[in-house]
Amino acid sequence: MENYINNLLFTYFPHIAFAVFWFGLITRFIVANKSIQAKSTQILAKDGVRKGNNLFHYGIIIVFFGHFTLFLPEEVYHIVMSTETKRMIALIFGTSFGIVTFIGMLMLFRRRLSNERVRFASSFHDYFILILLIVEAGLGLASVVTTANGTVSEYAALGEWAQKIITFQPNAGDVIEGHSILYKIHFTIGLVIFMIFPYTKLMHILVLPIAYFLRSSYQLIRRRV
Amino acid sequence: MQIRAQIAMVLNLDKCIGCHTCSVTCKNVWTSRKGVEYAWFNNVETKPGIGYPDDWENQEKWKGGWKLDKEKLKPRMGNKTGIMKHIFANPNMPFIDDYYEPFTFNYSILHKGSKFKTPPSARPYSILTGKPMEKIEKSANWEDNLGGSFEKRSREKNFDEVQKEIYGEFENSFMMYLPRLCEHCLNPTCVAACPSGAIYKREEDGIVLIDQSRCRGWRMCVSACPYKKIYFNWETQKSEKCTFCYPKIEVGEPTICSESCVGRIRYIGVLLYDADKILEAASSKNETDLYNEHLKLFLDPNDPEIIKEAEKQGIAHNVLEAAKNSPVYKMAIDWKVAFPLHPEYRTLPMVWYVPPLSPVVNAAESGKIGINGILPDVDDLRIPNKYLANMFTAGDEAPVKDALKRMLAMRAYMRSKTVDKEVNTSVLENTGLTPEETEKMYELMAIANYNDRYVIPTSHREYAKDAFGYKASCGFSDNGGCGNDKLKNLFGGL
Repeated sequence: MENYINNLLFTYFPHIAFAVFWFGLITRFIVANKSIQAKSTQILAKDGVRKGNNLFHYGIIIVFFGHFTLFLPEEVYHIVMSTETKRMIALIFGTSFGIVTFIGMLMLFRRRLSNERVRFASSFHDYFILILLIVEAGLGLASVVTTANGTVSEYAALGEWAQKIITFQPNAGDVIEGHSILYKIHFTIGLVIFMIFPYTKLMHILVLPIAYFLRSSYQLIRRRV
Repeated sequence: MQIRAQIAMVLNLDKCIGCHTCSVTCKNVWTSRKGVEYAWFNNVETKPGIGYPDDWENQEKWKGGWKLDKEKLKPRMGNKTGIMKHIFANPNMPFIDDYYEPFTFNYSILHKGSKFKTPPSARPYSILTGKPMEKIEKSANWEDNLGGSFEKRSREKNFDEVQKEIYGEFENSFMMYLPRLCEHCLNPTCVAACPSGAIYKREEDGIVLIDQSRCRGWRMCVSACPYKKIYFNWETQKSEKCTFCYPKIEVGEPTICSESCVGRIRYIGVLLYDADKILEAASSKNETDLYNEHLKLFLDPNDPEIIKEAEKQGIAHNVLEAAKNSPVYKMAIDWKVAFPLHPEYRTLPMVWYVPPLSPVVNAAESGKIGINGILPDVDDLRIPNKYLANMFTAGDEAPVKDALKRMLAMRAYMRSKTVDKEVNTSVLENTGLTPEETEKMYELMAIANYNDRYVIPTSHREYAKDAFGYKASCGFSDNGGCGNDKLKNLFGGL
């Protein structure tokens, strides 16, 4: 039974999650493009909104991209560092920016709960996403301890699992079967976040206006079409 | 030379009575929706006063408009990198309390409630929290007719370099009204600061609009606009602004604020300008040069060379005809009685203001004899010239004084003609006005016939989109704009 659940969650569920993710992503961009936007309550109240937002956003960007190093095959990163070193770097960056993110999120959560105006303007959606992210970040921070205490091969297995998933290998879940429950919940919630991502306000990440830097001038003139 | 046409506005402050009809009609048409209760695309301020939102003219505080950085023009809030690094939390954005907390009154209790022990009253309650408010501390027009203490009101920016203490005394106090709307600038900072590229200036008439389907709610425009005329809708969480009532303009009608103005103070007309020179004009070294550099952008609509070139560049014939009769051209360029609001923000605003005349003070005491024995000296007017100059010409008093002189001369000339029945042309000396021009000026500024005030070319039918499908729909339809269209799809509405 345990094996069945493990297989379901870490071999099949990732693919289900990503299928739902891609479906939502594409349909949202096509049918509800207008609704993809940053949802800001900054105007309503000060209450540490700047500090909280900056800590959270800058922290989570670094943490998020840090996770992508899991997709690097051993042969590639061994050119510059050993698995041991990579784990050390991951631990240092993960802990420091994880804490930054976590503090930022707690500040924002406190603001959402304690400020009357922000609370009045908040929907279930806002709380749900925020709590989901706080739990995910908390689990991520907790699993840092597990990683630090575990063996190097256990750490390497995490990357192997991620690589097996994105390359559609069978029995990917077996790789992490014996791992700590902390990792497993962290992965599951992470996959859930991915799955619901296109249906939530998190979509604003994908419209981050990088193209602003490519604009040749400051001014924009639109011709009549 | 790249010729473009702009629909511009002049407001004759000399005639504004501060009745707020413009604000109310605008509110009814555009912002009577949830999320923008606090927003007034058009509002009327009593000056001196810190205005709405608080102290909006203080750009050291709000960082709106442009600045020269080593002779290069860049938004005061920062260049592109400077703007983008603050994208998660904008440090220069006003909070809603800088405008006011929107409120409404609980009227239903009056007819639904049970017996009252005390005389019934409808208490105000906050739209932001849904809870009753003990006291309304602020509203869109809190300083109306010099409401509040002089000490607080005089903190405004236009008092810079003015010995303001004496104007706090009752005998020396003065006031004027300043109706404000989006300036539809030639060099708008809001457009420049919008990282999504959602704000744009229309090529054919220069109206600046926010594309609601491309606005992603990054809110940089709110702080970039030095006039604080972009409002963040806290319900849809996108920005909104004055549209210059473009659906009306396109069919040749004036904006709702102009149409409903009981004082006939508003004028709408076309200006032709050279778009290639915008950057150069906005980058003038001295702030006091900006007014003159701004004027140099405009092209003479009666010059056959200009007409020929404009036609070659595809500007419609009716636009060129309208430009010839433009009341804005006459007042801003021919007679130089209308001025841009705060040219020192370097946005090249296109809503112009005729400064108000005011009563003569202490003329007897000063012993000065007015020009020609008839005209009072403009230095003796109650509103200090420096104050007006700080508002309209970046502190340069000369152009404002000249304009006031011309307006006084026009009055004296017409008085001699209609009251004394004896035309006195000597009052026009040193004003550069001829009797014919003075009478034209009188016709436009004092009589202000509808057809003279609004010379608006219609847009061309052949360019129009088939709008039949949009009939009876509403402009801003997000989150219950009109009708309740929440939860339209699986992504939660919109």
